[in-house]
Amino acid sequence: MADFEPRIVGFLCNWCTYAGADLAGTSRMQYPPNMRPIRVMCSSSVDSVYILRALLEGADGVFIGGCHPGDCHYVSGNYKARRRMVLFNSIMRSVGLDQDRVWLRWISAAEGRKFANTVTEMTTAIQEKGPSEFRDKWDV
Amino acid sequence: MKGLLKTRDKNPEATLRELFAGWLKDGKLSAILVPAMSGSGAATMALISDPDKIQDTAPLMPAMAVNAASVIHDIAKLPAEGVKVGLLLRPCEMRAVVELVKLRQVLLDNLVLIGIDCPGTYKSAGFRDRVEPSDGTCEDAEQGVKGSRVQGLQDSNPRTSSLSDFDNNHVRNQQEQYDNPDLRTACQLCEYAKPMVFDVAIGFLGLNPDEELWVESANDKGAALLEGLEVAEGDEPDKRVKYLEELAAKRKANAAVSIEELNKEMMGPDNLVRYFADCLNCHNCMNVCPVCYCRECFFDSDSFMRSLGEHVMISKRKGMTRMPSETLLFHLTRMNHMMMSCVGCGICEDSCPVSIGLTPLFKKVSRDAQAEFDYVSGRSLDEELPLTTFREDEFKTIGEE
Repeated sequence: MADFEPRIVGFLCNWCTYAGADLAGTSRMQYPPNMRPIRVMCSSSVDSVYILRALLEGADGVFIGGCHPGDCHYVSGNYKARRRMVLFNSIMRSVGLDQDRVWLRWISAAEGRKFANTVTEMTTAIQEKGPSEFRDKWDV
Repeated sequence: MKGLLKTRDKNPEATLRELFAGWLKDGKLSAILVPAMSGSGAATMALISDPDKIQDTAPLMPAMAVNAASVIHDIAKLPAEGVKVGLLLRPCEMRAVVELVKLRQVLLDNLVLIGIDCPGTYKSAGFRDRVEPSDGTCEDAEQGVKGSRVQGLQDSNPRTSSLSDFDNNHVRNQQEQYDNPDLRTACQLCEYAKPMVFDVAIGFLGLNPDEELWVESANDKGAALLEGLEVAEGDEPDKRVKYLEELAAKRKANAAVSIEELNKEMMGPDNLVRYFADCLNCHNCMNVCPVCYCRECFFDSDSFMRSLGEHVMISKRKGMTRMPSETLLFHLTRMNHMMMSCVGCGICEDSCPVSIGLTPLFKKVSRDAQAEFDYVSGRSLDEELPLTTFREDEFKTIGEE
């Protein structure tokens, strides 16, 4: 799968991870172009439906970036996102889907390097997994 | 207060009717929501306010058309004044009401929660034929089958009297319900045969219901109803505790077998798609779900309205898309939205026109999900809904490398 280029949908919190991505860009840090960023107001605003829709439509991975616990612009959004991720992972395991295609990470506005490293790391991990099983499944 | 109430004339259902009629006559309750068979023979529920009509109710009728919590969600969402309404609820219905209260969909102020044991129910469709088989094998209306009939307490209407025999026999022969393959699937897998939350509880499991019934109040509201009754006060009899334990163990074993079967055919992308392959996207499962409470479902909203151009764009991604589209997305999202509150009543499966095995699936998924938060839906009014709260010091590995 050397030539497999994963398609990763990224949901980035406006206040931290999106700004972190911006910093990575303005600092000219190099990282793979496989993630398509979508700016959201908070990691807790990423309802499971958006993650699932991306996966079922064939995305190879979904990335969600939020503020570090304690740093949420809305005080507690990321704590709630964390609980929802626990639920999401549980459901994925219960039905036998791969929870490791969905990553939640805390990346602050100052962590451009962490953002670039995380995207690199995730792209490599998904490359190793190979394409999503839903990529060619039209009958979902 | 808790203890044993003597059954009148070896007729548990009539004893309950009499109890309820008394509460209506004394003005302790303005009305009671209770199972009843309609004149046309439909197994349904009724909000009864006239004690003289109590004969038409069937408190022990083992048939379930909808989860009563759905009805309560419709009728007890707005504040009310000057009425007090009793709700006779099976354990799964009570648990759904508890979830709805916590979701702020039901106001408890004017309600009295009357929980009752449940050995299992039949589907409401076709229930009439179980009571009165059209092939003439009907229970002898004069003698009953395994129960006794007593003059005076029976309704003159032949339908309600044979129904009464059926209901009473269902609780008399409670041992047979352990493994009754004709019960609704959800009931065969259900370990919650007695109510966990209640103002008043009524029990018959593990007892001889022709002789005695268990009654218990959990608070002043409940005690007010039981006041004046001749109750032999005492703790839950050992035989009842033991019986309930055995029943729970048996049903848990049934559930384990069922989930094992499920795992063989449902797990993984290919199997999962196949499991839901027949889905028509009718959303019945959502509409009848007692805890799926949104007035307008996200899936019915404009967020899911796409232009023809967008559909073509999506089709181009894989070359073709199934129509109606996003059926699996609907089910997986519904799991994410509702699994914390799923009570396993199985009404979703009953209403599915293509018979998708939702009961064991939701049983498994909800149990796994609730276990993550040490939560059991409907177990307590005080436990917070896991998704509306958080602790700073928990799940530390989520979001980290």
